[in-house]
Amino acid sequence: MKILKISFALLICAIVSSCSNDDDNTEDLSGQTGELIIKFDNGVGDQDFIFDTSYSKSNNETYKLSTLKYLVSNITLTDTEGNEYMYPSEKNVFIISEANANNAGEIYVTLEDVDAADYTSISFGVGIDQGRYALGADGQGDFLTTAEAEGMMWSWATGYRFTRIDGTYSSSTVTDEALNIHMGSVGTSIDNYREVTLSLPNTVLIREDKSPQIHVVADIAKLFDGTTSVSFDDGYAQVHVDETTTGVIANNAADMFSVHHVHNE
Amino acid sequence: MKIKFLLVLGGILCFSCTKNDAEIAYQPVFLTVEQPSNFPEIVYNLENNPVTEAGFQLGKSLFYEGKLSANNAIPCAFCHEQAFAFTHHGHTVSHGVNGGIGTRNAQPMQNLAYQGEFMWDGAATHLDFQPVIPITSELEMGETVSNVVSKLQADSYYQNQFKMAFEDGEINSENLLKALSQFMVMMVSSNSTYDKYVREEEQVTLTQVELDGLATFNNKCASCHATDLFTDHSFRNNGLSINPRLNDVGRFAVFENPDDIYKFKVPSLRNIAVTAPYMHDGRFATLEAVMDFYDSGMVDNGNVDAILQREDGTLGITLSSYEKESIIAFLNTLTDNEFLTDERFSEF
Repeated sequence: MKILKISFALLICAIVSSCSNDDDNTEDLSGQTGELIIKFDNGVGDQDFIFDTSYSKSNNETYKLSTLKYLVSNITLTDTEGNEYMYPSEKNVFIISEANANNAGEIYVTLEDVDAADYTSISFGVGIDQGRYALGADGQGDFLTTAEAEGMMWSWATGYRFTRIDGTYSSSTVTDEALNIHMGSVGTSIDNYREVTLSLPNTVLIREDKSPQIHVVADIAKLFDGTTSVSFDDGYAQVHVDETTTGVIANNAADMFSVHHVHNE
Repeated sequence: MKIKFLLVLGGILCFSCTKNDAEIAYQPVFLTVEQPSNFPEIVYNLENNPVTEAGFQLGKSLFYEGKLSANNAIPCAFCHEQAFAFTHHGHTVSHGVNGGIGTRNAQPMQNLAYQGEFMWDGAATHLDFQPVIPITSELEMGETVSNVVSKLQADSYYQNQFKMAFEDGEINSENLLKALSQFMVMMVSSNSTYDKYVREEEQVTLTQVELDGLATFNNKCASCHATDLFTDHSFRNNGLSINPRLNDVGRFAVFENPDDIYKFKVPSLRNIAVTAPYMHDGRFATLEAVMDFYDSGMVDNGNVDAILQREDGTLGITLSSYEKESIIAFLNTLTDNEFLTDERFSEF
């Protein structure tokens, strides 16, 4: 009987202490920050993306690329409570270049000092939003020179390339014709910035002593056969400033991302 | 004795160190951008880039700095000379590094804080970014922004100037462009004879021919050359014949929109008497030639602005010889000698 009483008391103690432990955990998070790595991984359908490799698309067209870059900004995380955390604006622009990928074809974006929380979704913009353009040089730091070095800046007009694709395509009528998509927003008249929100398959835990990773896959096939299927022969082999074609590619680009998995380590 | 001497020496060294540090620290003295009473509101967002004495001086040094170009010899001021309201006097189009010849006439630099779009085709939509175009143009300065930043980082003068002009003291593209903007937004031309007349200052009056010119101008020109900035900031095709050598399609190059073909910015007319030659390609050497063009020289190049069509369908703005003469007399009242000789903007 006595033993039963003691074990019951112990059980209660255990429950109470584990409860209070949980409470402590939530409280501990305030002021705590951690690192988050976002791995961008370009693919084409169910294949990995490889430079100078021929891929098929609709309309019996094929393409090979030698440059594949896009610009990601305004990364924001939403936690289990619905609170949003936005990475500091002045650091929140990244050029995702396939040429900078590791042997596994992954391009790392490392966010530091992220508020500790349990996040359930990630959102980001493809390109530069009008608000950031309106700031002029303010808050840009070295980004302009970084973009220039990456060939992601225009010199004929003031602006950034949001998507840069160079390569060749072949169709039933042409072989190895030039394929160049250098598009962004043009002033305030053509706004090609798009936002993407992806829910995470499992919660990502940002903690001081952890370095979780979100593995984002970009399906390049969807750039051409996404929300809208386009034909290179029909005006999409050269996409630069035209309002219609740049808008279609911008919409397709925003639709090409998905989260493959999350590591909590 | 020895110790005393060392202490004194140490004191002097410390003192001199602190003194030097104080001299090259960020101690902002804020400057106010002029808002003349007869001007529209400032467009440039000064809150993001407040003008300081040191930032303005740095911007001025950069404006006159050859290192912004590939051969270290072509500063901004090469094509923008103060005496001619910062235009390239006598040049139809300008030349740059490696013998490059541009395709457009250098525009005056004045009252830039009151404008939102720059270049003849509006390719720059923020003043901060405008300098990127001439710096990186192969026909103008032929440089990269990154390389300009590297050159400035290696220069002890700029190492100090950037520290005094900006809180973070960094020599980077952000601060380079901010300093240039600080210099440019201060370039306000608002003290011509005409300005003093409309603001009723110093009992300035206009002559009868100037007043007649102003009346005709308001009647026949002011729908495009609107407000006391003398531009409505629009882009229009004014019926110039197409120079096949240049075949400059104007604003079409920015958006590839067929409606924009041969459209160029309606320029301000301030200091127009000193900014010859005229039009985007500098084809007219005199204001008389400009008047004759509007009266009888326009051609139908396929997309001429409807505002320039007469009731009978022909193109042009009918001007008698007295109207031409008096409009030119009025335009001459827009010359602002205080601005053209203002030492704040002068190289020496």
